[in-house]
Amino acid sequence: MGYALVQILNALSFSALLLLTGLGLSVVLSLMNFINLAHGSFYLLGSYVAVYWFASGAPWWLAFPMAFAAAALAGALLERFPFRGFYARTHLMQVLLTYGLSVIFADLMRWGFGAQILSPELPEALQGVVFLLDIPFPLYRLFIIAAGLVLGVLLWLLLDRTLWGAVVRASVSDRGMVEALGIDTRRVFAAVLVLSAGLGGISGALGAGMLAAYPGLDEEVLVLALITVVAGGLGTFRGTVAGALVVGFALTFSKLWFPEFANAAAFSAMAALLLLRPNGLVAPRQRQV
Amino acid sequence: MLLAHRPAAAGLVAVAIALPALWAGEFHLRFLAEILIIGTAVMSLDLLVGFGGLVSLGHAAPFGLAAYAAAIASQSLGGNLLLVLPLGAATGMAVAAVMGAVILRTSHLFLLILTLLLGKIAWEIVFHWREVTGGADGLRGLPPLSLGPWELSDARSLYLLAAGLALAATTAARSFAAAPLGRALIGIREQPLRMTALGYSIPRIRFSAMLAAGAIAGAAGALYPFVNLYVGPQSVHWTLSATMIVMLVIGGVGSLWGAFLGSAAYLTVQTYVSSYTDRWQLFVGLVFVLTVLLLPAGIAGGLRSLVGGWAHGRNGNDRGA
Amino acid sequence: MQLLLAQSGNIMAGRAVEFLVEDDQARPEEGVRKARKLIGQNKVDILCGVISSGVALALRDVVTEAKVPTFLLGSANDLARKAASPYIVRPTKTNWMLGHTAARWTHGKLPQARALTVASDYAAGREFVGDFADTYRQLGGQLGKQIWTPLGNADFGPLMTSIAMERPDVVYGFFAGSDAVRFLRQWKEYRLNGRIPLIGTGAFFDQEDVLPAVGDAALGTVNTFQQSPTAPASAAFNQAYMATGKPLPGEFSTSGYACGQVIKAVLERMGGDISDWENARQALFASPVETALGHMPFDPRNGQAILDIHVNEVRRGQGGKMINTVVHTYQAVRDPGPAT
Repeated sequence: MGYALVQILNALSFSALLLLTGLGLSVVLSLMNFINLAHGSFYLLGSYVAVYWFASGAPWWLAFPMAFAAAALAGALLERFPFRGFYARTHLMQVLLTYGLSVIFADLMRWGFGAQILSPELPEALQGVVFLLDIPFPLYRLFIIAAGLVLGVLLWLLLDRTLWGAVVRASVSDRGMVEALGIDTRRVFAAVLVLSAGLGGISGALGAGMLAAYPGLDEEVLVLALITVVAGGLGTFRGTVAGALVVGFALTFSKLWFPEFANAAAFSAMAALLLLRPNGLVAPRQRQV
Repeated sequence: MLLAHRPAAAGLVAVAIALPALWAGEFHLRFLAEILIIGTAVMSLDLLVGFGGLVSLGHAAPFGLAAYAAAIASQSLGGNLLLVLPLGAATGMAVAAVMGAVILRTSHLFLLILTLLLGKIAWEIVFHWREVTGGADGLRGLPPLSLGPWELSDARSLYLLAAGLALAATTAARSFAAAPLGRALIGIREQPLRMTALGYSIPRIRFSAMLAAGAIAGAAGALYPFVNLYVGPQSVHWTLSATMIVMLVIGGVGSLWGAFLGSAAYLTVQTYVSSYTDRWQLFVGLVFVLTVLLLPAGIAGGLRSLVGGWAHGRNGNDRGA
Repeated sequence: MQLLLAQSGNIMAGRAVEFLVEDDQARPEEGVRKARKLIGQNKVDILCGVISSGVALALRDVVTEAKVPTFLLGSANDLARKAASPYIVRPTKTNWMLGHTAARWTHGKLPQARALTVASDYAAGREFVGDFADTYRQLGGQLGKQIWTPLGNADFGPLMTSIAMERPDVVYGFFAGSDAVRFLRQWKEYRLNGRIPLIGTGAFFDQEDVLPAVGDAALGTVNTFQQSPTAPASAAFNQAYMATGKPLPGEFSTSGYACGQVIKAVLERMGGDISDWENARQALFASPVETALGHMPFDPRNGQAILDIHVNEVRRGQGGKMINTVVHTYQAVRDPGPAT
């Protein structure tokens, strides 16, 4: 009983991390129809910021806004050039451009932060452990789950329940109309991209304690995030949540049930899911124009 | 087809192939053979990406699994070319058939992720089936290729063999693209709705394209283990699939022959720039991004627009991405 | 390696040495291409390096065919057994040496213990755990569950919960690189450190790659390794290495240096001329070489070094740093070698 509960919490904490990375990707994809394969770089940048911040002795919780800011800044610069020119291009061109950029960033970060594996010294407050029916579960993972929940809800409120969110969604469906209302849609899109990059950074900061930080992690995280977003159904908020849960639970429980074929089993499950629901778990309502 | 129409081009290609065979050294010939073999696989990917708009992130699967099939068969049956090559093509085709069946009704990003997942599953199988594939260590000590009484293990014959394969495969791919099936493939990329209205079956056309690309990639894969008498799980890994796309874009999407330029450019940078600097990945990334920004039709497209009128209006295939 | 050359002023046995570096990216196809380039284009006399066993195995036939003396640092057992080659010298351990000694140590310390094994599921992990299990069973030890995880595993949480439920008496493990860091971190997060003794291969607790990244999570763990920064043979190298601004050396840097020392030794014994490799090989195998990995005789059957294997315990050193500290040494451990 306690065992099952703790394993579910394990899966949830991994899902929360997937959700946060996936959300950043999904926001630009659903709202701007832009595929950003450099998202893993934002994540890794956030991880590095957190590692250095925790080591610096400054108040630990500031690491998360710092990681958000660093990645958001990188996102803002990239948005000016070259992303902006690619919003209207085909997905293939976006994939190519951003993949190329991610290769460049990966090498730049290897240059700047070194090739060694870094792992943050977690603050005292997060080092504890709770015992659930005599089975230990780290406090840090509860923190990740909580952060995933809070950030997820905040984002949903922002995009779904505020005027700004309405403007963003309107800019997507009819850009000309929104422009005619006197709103600069270019700035709206820029803001969405910055938000997405920041989300990548903050998830990197949260995940650093679990996944460490090293060259190549950007690619691993990106692939997981992509699978999450796509399995959930492109571009819906609920879809990404569903995708994160499916991928997180599949990867966790396949490890327990088929330890030697864990990845193969999890990937097959995801492929089967995509076959049964070719548009993802939660398909966006189609608009025929 | 290509050569029959243009005797001058045919002569040029023949000379270009013959020259290295005469003067290049052992290392360079083997290196060229590798470029041609990987280039052939990339060229087959161009059939999917450039003509069908099907961006597969799992093309290393037909290539790599065919390489394993050829290597495993050669261990017990010897490296007979007439056995290995058809076996590789058949394996590639079979793998592509499975992948094709899975992706029939998906497109865009879903297709990308599904092919990625399938490629990852293929890698997991190879990596874990230790008794047969050697697992992480791969298979070594393979017998050399042979054709009847001739042994094809020296660099020169490997090179000529790879060149022959590249030529044959390009010719085959060209005729596929020029055939009604290939035209229909382009049609469903551009106007899926209209093509359906005209009575074309999109899944069936895509499936045929997958089979053709898989067979060519498989044939290339069959030769690959014999360049180094070794095959390892890296040849199935999804990063090779991603590298193939990078090569294709640098070379030029939709031109077929650009694939060879792309694979040559990438492997040369990787092999030579990395001797001088640790930052070679930065270099590759920059080249790649600049290609996307400045030369969306790749080196092939760039060359073509340089030559301009020389191609007297035969630019039917120059469509970029 | 580069450090040794700088120390010797790029001259070995009165002969100027030109040093070329290529990156194999731990990919066999890459490694083979680079090796062919070095052999065919740069006409090198000696190849040295290759940490990945996969690359080492792929190179085996290439260098044997080209008859180029090669000093390989990959540790697959096969390279000392059925894939041994007269052109290959291995101045490093085989996986068997570490798995075997770990089983002896564990059984000596905890004779009644039920041992659970956990390792990355690929060639090296299979060899380490297989050799550990074989020896442990022969000694009469009791084996519990064997757990395998995919290479590059993201989350060890579920595994930790499983181990906590199993309550084994001792855990034997092998991970490397990021897997090792994540495992040890989470080992501590789930409060298994201090509750269950953890023993592993040296790379799992590498002084340079792993220990600095895991804080005190590895404190008190034990590993068997041919390298230890506290082994007397390593002292001179430690100093020189750290003088270049590097941290306390781990396996790869030490092995690279030792490899250079072996090459230097063979060059000196042959007066700088190794064109007659058969003679050079015999001269090298005739008597041991003193290296940063200690006294190193070679097994003439397979060119494999016979090594002292240290039992390291991770202890708190000066300034709170975690240091692999030698607590025991198995002298002159020799791989079983090719089946006769």
